[in-house]
Amino acid sequence: MNNLCELLRRLIAGEVEFVLVGGFAAVAHGVTLVTRDVDVCCRFSEENLMRIQHALADLHPVHRSRPDMPLQLTPEQCAGLKNLYLKTDLGVLDCLGEVLGVGGFDQVAQHVVEVEVPAGRCRVLDLDTLIIAKEAVGRDHDLVTVKHLKEIKKEQNR
Amino acid sequence: MKTDPTNPVQELKEAAPPYGSPATGIGGDVDIALLRASLAMTPWERMKANDDALNFGESLREAMKKRNEQSL
Repeated sequence: MNNLCELLRRLIAGEVEFVLVGGFAAVAHGVTLVTRDVDVCCRFSEENLMRIQHALADLHPVHRSRPDMPLQLTPEQCAGLKNLYLKTDLGVLDCLGEVLGVGGFDQVAQHVVEVEVPAGRCRVLDLDTLIIAKEAVGRDHDLVTVKHLKEIKKEQNR
Repeated sequence: MKTDPTNPVQELKEAAPPYGSPATGIGGDVDIALLRASLAMTPWERMKANDDALNFGESLREAMKKRNEQSL
């Protein structure tokens, strides 16, 4: 059973430094397309990566490309990581060091809106920047999402 | 066309334009009515609705898979 909301709640409760990006961010803005994973852009410091690991510890997190490899980060591994693609009992979580079309975590963190969720406040990539990011990725489904995001912009300006 | 108050079928047709008509936004790239309903919710409610839809879709796929296996 997927529970992407609980995945997100755990990251917030675990004080992980992240910005929600990708399809779930689009959903937060109002897009009605269903997304299957949580994408976050996060600071790839050892401290932050260990917070992610701790937040997911009981959810049997594994590396998506190597499901036989549980998430057991060491300081040495943390130093070399740029992205982290995970599968957990609650769903898929992609942790990205940068967002195409926007930049690294520090750039991404300059383009956020904060939304209230049960665990606290969640930083979400803002509408305009999410459009830029989705256009930069440019896959068919990203471009459909862009159409939705642009309609949301129009609705907000009505 | 003017609505004939004695003809409820005509009235219904006009209240529900054809699928894909710009008047509804349904069937085009974006269903505006659905989008507006989504915008009326909080971000957290939208995210919960995504989880519900995702799990419902997966349960349907699972049921279809079982049905196809049984029919082989």
